[in-house]
Amino acid sequence: MNALAAVLSERLPEGQVVEGFRAEQWAVCDRVPQAVVFPESEAEVAEVLRLASQEGWTVVPAGKGTWLHGGHPPGAVDIVLSIVRMDRITLYEPGDLTVTAEGGIGLDLLARRCDDHRQWLPLDPPGPRKGTLAATVSTASSGPLAYHHGSPKDHVLGVSLVTGDGRVLELGGRVVKNVAGFDVLKLAIGSWGTLGVLTSITTRLHPQPPADRTVLFRGEAAELVALARAIATVPAPLAALEMLLPGERERSGGPVPLLAVRILEASEATDEICRIVTDTAGAAAFRQLDGRASADLFGNVEALESGAELVVRLRLLPSQLETVCQHADELRELADPDEGWGTRLGAHVQSGALRVIMSRMARGEGWIDRAAEVIERVRRGLEAEGGSLTLSRGPSELVSAVGAWGDAGSAAPLMSALKREFDPAGILSPGRLCFL
Amino acid sequence: MSSPLSSEVTADLRAIVGERWVITDPVRLLAYESDALTSYRRAPGAVVFPVDTDEVSQVMVRLAQAGVPVVPRGAGTGLSGGAIAGPGAVIVATPRMNRIVHLDRESRLALLQPGVINADLTEAARPHGLFYAPDPSSQSACTIGGNVAENSGGPHCLKYGVTSRYVTGLTVVRYDGEVLRLGGLGRDAVGYDLMGVFVGSEGCFGIATEIEVQLLPIPPATRTLLAMFDRLEDAGEAVSAIVARGLLPAALEIIDRETIQAVEASIFAAGYPVDVEAALVIEFDGIEAGLDSEAEEAEGCCWERGARDVRRARSEKERLGLWQGRKNAFGAFGRVAPDLFVQDATVPRTRLPEVLRSIREIGHRYGLRVANVFHAGDGNLHPNILFDRSDEEELARVEQASREIMAVCVEAGGTITGEHGVGLDKRAYMRLVHSPDVLEVMRATKKAFDPWGGMNPGKVLP
Repeated sequence: MNALAAVLSERLPEGQVVEGFRAEQWAVCDRVPQAVVFPESEAEVAEVLRLASQEGWTVVPAGKGTWLHGGHPPGAVDIVLSIVRMDRITLYEPGDLTVTAEGGIGLDLLARRCDDHRQWLPLDPPGPRKGTLAATVSTASSGPLAYHHGSPKDHVLGVSLVTGDGRVLELGGRVVKNVAGFDVLKLAIGSWGTLGVLTSITTRLHPQPPADRTVLFRGEAAELVALARAIATVPAPLAALEMLLPGERERSGGPVPLLAVRILEASEATDEICRIVTDTAGAAAFRQLDGRASADLFGNVEALESGAELVVRLRLLPSQLETVCQHADELRELADPDEGWGTRLGAHVQSGALRVIMSRMARGEGWIDRAAEVIERVRRGLEAEGGSLTLSRGPSELVSAVGAWGDAGSAAPLMSALKREFDPAGILSPGRLCFL
Repeated sequence: MSSPLSSEVTADLRAIVGERWVITDPVRLLAYESDALTSYRRAPGAVVFPVDTDEVSQVMVRLAQAGVPVVPRGAGTGLSGGAIAGPGAVIVATPRMNRIVHLDRESRLALLQPGVINADLTEAARPHGLFYAPDPSSQSACTIGGNVAENSGGPHCLKYGVTSRYVTGLTVVRYDGEVLRLGGLGRDAVGYDLMGVFVGSEGCFGIATEIEVQLLPIPPATRTLLAMFDRLEDAGEAVSAIVARGLLPAALEIIDRETIQAVEASIFAAGYPVDVEAALVIEFDGIEAGLDSEAEEAEGCCWERGARDVRRARSEKERLGLWQGRKNAFGAFGRVAPDLFVQDATVPRTRLPEVLRSIREIGHRYGLRVANVFHAGDGNLHPNILFDRSDEEELARVEQASREIMAVCVEAGGTITGEHGVGLDKRAYMRLVHSPDVLEVMRATKKAFDPWGGMNPGKVLP
């Protein structure tokens, strides 16, 4: 056992520390930790962090490991701290439409518990549903439902955050309206494990909609873009509006380009909205999916990134959908023309975000440099128009070269000051936020 | 008596914003001595009215050089004493910054200056079929800048959420005049959500000089009900029952007997029966199809919980009539007692009945009149204590009772303020809900934005 793992083993109950080859599967963007710890209580999380702060060991918080390869690679990883064993629901009062759970609970398990009361948390981040609540909140991940239902910052009412030096902060609360002091909770959401470990999370829930329907339109990309823009402005609540363009190499006989309009309302209202949508489209729907089939289609949208080597998220205003698609096309040259499915595009039309999902990147002499050059050019183009490019996933070397995110500009010093406050020893996911 | 700024600083400010846009005349400064919570009164050293981001920045640079603290102020409709300044400080007021810069119908967003009045934004968006959702009671007077500072709510937040849900981008001027651009709908966040933490920072971090907000399509139809109850707790239980059914009304508002009597005795009389213990306003909105069945289901919940009567609005005129008692409650209190102590605690919705009982008991014990008018669906209580400030003994009882009410709400898992903010008024209660470590982190966050300590000093933190 290595020295670091040995010290941790002395401090934690038996079976909570893993090292050696078993730590390899917990590599964070190719960086294998010296030890992986699985604390089972908030006090144990605090103990590990206090110790790491004293010793100067770097710590990357994790859940089930779903996001370890996402975002910018951290500089060093001594310890991966997984809260996967902290997965209990600690307070669920259906009448309040709120639930408090430990951060390690999977979104799937949480959904099952809420099902019993016909309630749900309308968050559908990309990736497998077993991903933890804490990871979703920590990365502020969301999916097609975010435009209408909100992203983690709109759902989360309170958290327990254990800071880098082991302080336990109860931020926010468990009521839906709360302005008691500065909203520091917002800093923790989307902080990518650089400010603390989210041991407990209280989130609001919604009643499950009585009907779930998806109306599908098919056509070529340009037609679908025009249709999407028209449908986006109908005066009715659309739960999601997704444009899905399959990869070049999976089209023959396989999936076709689609525009998926999801409606989650009471059944009478669903019929009416469906009528408004088809009237606006001026064309008959290709297909209509109800209930389970509708939900399953969006399950596939979440899974769109599964197995991809490169995922790039481009964003402009919803009214600039054509432009963002043009920028996406500039990235296609990076795909391997002979292997995998090619390049899929998935657009959250209402929020102007488009994911470019590449099965496998073309290799060859200097491929990383060439890819970096193309991605940087597209990023500059989007930023010049007020948009952004985020590298959600890619080969570590490439992500390190271009940065997962763009520049934080003049806000960077302010963010660094906040980071020091939460993590004085600088041990939490150092370098994860590349601009700090 | 106001101690005026040095004549040098005043002259420089006038050079930046124009002669008439700096007020130093002590008589005119009296208009700025309080916000809508009139128990705190302090006239500022001066009031400055810049017109855009650039002028705000120049004003701040000059004031920071002179070491003069700054208090941002919109319409002064706040209820926590947050927008008042002492004689040594300057108010930077936003009424001239009242332009809607840009409205993008397709992206459903508006870019505006902070002095735009909440209701004016909705008015401007209406021709595009859009509206701005957060609707504080003061929406015909309050500014969006003030709403951002307070993270304001309103009766329809049950369905739509509060201000922070709708702010997508901010341009912020810090005390030293630096201009920060935070967020923006068309781009993904980079790093910590500074925009999110700025919303609700009560003028302590900087001044928002441009605000980008998300608009929503106007719901084409509404259904409004008014249910009367002989017990306040029954009204609270009806609220829980409606929510438990999976219904999501746009608003669920309760007005108690004390409030109804005040309203009915005033010029705002709405025709509510004065002998009921509580009236519950229920509103649904959305597309026409299915609204009737939702309204019927909610009505059923009220009957099951022992409602004496349920009225349904058949026209827009009737709808406004049903809302009248709720909307004019605060105006009506003025007739009943010279002073009003407004509270704003929020509790988990299911704890409403027991908390309401405790509040009544506390009122009785201290011999005080407590009128409840509140956002029941959100669990956001507004127990209003009616009293006379000139009676010192009564004032002492009011303060003691208030503290007890706060403690009951916190004990029930709630918080000390749901939408009015802390300002000066609730600083003393902050320790009821936050640990020393959390308060320290708040202090450090303030310091990251404002290391100079020049923004709205003495507010929010105990």
